[in-house]
Amino acid sequence: MTELSVPGTTRATAPAAPHAVARRKRPLGTRLRRLSPAALRHVILIVAVIVFFGPFVWMVLTSFKSSAEALSFPPTFLPKVWHFDNYSQIFTVAPFGTYYLNSTIVAVATTAGQIVTSLAAGFAFSRLRFRGSTIIFVVLLAALLVPFEVVFTPLISLLSQLGWLNSYQGLIVPNVPSILGVFLFKQFFESFPTEIEDASRVDGAGVWRRMWSVVTPMATPMIGAFAVLSFVYNWNNFFFQFLAVTKTEFFTVSVGLTQLQSTNAADSFNLLMAGSTLAILPVFLVYIVFQKQIISAMSGGLR
Amino acid sequence: MPSAIDSTQARPARAAAPPRPAGRRRTTEQIEGRSGYALIAPTTILLALFYLYPLVQTVGYSFTNWNPATGQTGAFVGGANFAGLFQNAEFLKTAGNTGIYVVVVVPVTMAIGLFFAALLAQPFRGRGLYRALLFVPYIAPIVGSSLIFSFILSPLGGIVNGTLGALGFAPIGFLNSTPWALISVIVFSIWQGVGYQMIIFSAALSNIPQSYHEAATLDGAGPIRRFFSISLPLVVPTLGFLAITGIIGALQVFTQVYILTGGGPLRSTETILYFIYQQGFVYFHGGTASAAAVLLLALGIIVSVVQLRILGRRDTIELT
Repeated sequence: MTELSVPGTTRATAPAAPHAVARRKRPLGTRLRRLSPAALRHVILIVAVIVFFGPFVWMVLTSFKSSAEALSFPPTFLPKVWHFDNYSQIFTVAPFGTYYLNSTIVAVATTAGQIVTSLAAGFAFSRLRFRGSTIIFVVLLAALLVPFEVVFTPLISLLSQLGWLNSYQGLIVPNVPSILGVFLFKQFFESFPTEIEDASRVDGAGVWRRMWSVVTPMATPMIGAFAVLSFVYNWNNFFFQFLAVTKTEFFTVSVGLTQLQSTNAADSFNLLMAGSTLAILPVFLVYIVFQKQIISAMSGGLR
Repeated sequence: MPSAIDSTQARPARAAAPPRPAGRRRTTEQIEGRSGYALIAPTTILLALFYLYPLVQTVGYSFTNWNPATGQTGAFVGGANFAGLFQNAEFLKTAGNTGIYVVVVVPVTMAIGLFFAALLAQPFRGRGLYRALLFVPYIAPIVGSSLIFSFILSPLGGIVNGTLGALGFAPIGFLNSTPWALISVIVFSIWQGVGYQMIIFSAALSNIPQSYHEAATLDGAGPIRRFFSISLPLVVPTLGFLAITGIIGALQVFTQVYILTGGGPLRSTETILYFIYQQGFVYFHGGTASAAAVLLLALGIIVSVVQLRILGRRDTIELT
């Protein structure tokens, strides 16, 4: 920051100095050079933070404004009067408590299911020899090429035939198999040596015992990282929920918000922003606490 | 193992080897095999039921006039659905929109992501905070952040139009006029995706040995030269990986379109997935929807195969 003021003082106090004259031939280059790379980097990053994080600040500030103030021109930065009641109001204009509960149930249950099934399959694929395991694994990997978005029409019709539309099992079960999870756990188990397992095998421990008491405790960091990633993904998963649910009592926060948007139109941005704040809050809290795990899980595959 | 030297070890092994360990190994394998199948069963069965089966159905339905509302299979119509798609102005429009979207969003997001990753490559004060804040748009629920954008860009009280007004410009209908609506959706998607690209590029950059940079610095290379001569060539595999996942992701854009513009104005922001959704769930043209889905799938597979060919399979599988 101190370096920022240097060019101005140099020019003002010693304009006649020979090197200053030489510098004047390339004023922009000089100024950029004087604005040291470190300071320049901060300037760029602060602008970037305003662009990338600013909207969330704006969301929170708006969520405390009155409807009129949210729409007023010129816009105010801080609310003139803090309307905390926007947050209670959102629970009366829509069953937001139900939405919240549904999102929590769906995200937590799906995450738990993903962890258990992925850990089991990852362990089997990495540690157990059985006929066809390679072929099955390759088929699973190939399924990675099939995004859910491509197959949703028959999938939703299948859920309808099962009577699973507008139900928790319909929102949860189809999302439980996680190829990414299987793959991450397989990678993880392959990364540590088999000696401990071999020792416990000699001691007579069966497959279940080896998986549950020997390998799983060592996998705790991987489980944590995957759990966080999975929770965020499942909390945010809008498209599937949007199609699988038509009844208000099974709406999740995301689906409920779109409903709120279409019914309350343009004059209630303060309420919409309160709703968005509530939708983002759990993910944001998880992110603050588990930032390291999220980032390492996402970038871990490349290391 | 040289048996001639260590005869004490070799003898029991040779004596016991043929009958017992073979038998024991088979039982272990049988036990492990049964457990193995049991352990992979949940994932495999659920995946078969909820992904592979609908996938086969999608391909099958694409040759029929299936109506999802009736629950009946529909009659075989051959390639009529596919032929129809290419004569369907609406589909061609959405395909064009998706094309524009992919061509703009993917490279721009990657460029900005790489730029931030490079800025944050060396440790300095505040680096962690900058990185954390720049990443937030990526993890925030897309419905929530789309709503924020719909407010920020609104002509009523939106801060962007407010600022434009203060500078003496007429308000712009960012979300309900062409070409602004598509531009807005594109800008939103770039804003939303940069954080992810930044994190992946950061991981790739941190894998470059520090000594490369030190050697180049000794040779007189500045930071910009070092970036283009060392960092950039070494992150090419990551670049390829992110391009593929970016393209596949961009082919499936839906939520931000649905919330920001509802596909309008005049279908100018509708994407292929939006078309599939409408055909399948609004008009109940299951056959047409499936045919479009098959095309989208084929496109994704082609892109992935190209990636496998060019970059080898490791990078693809590791993060998808």
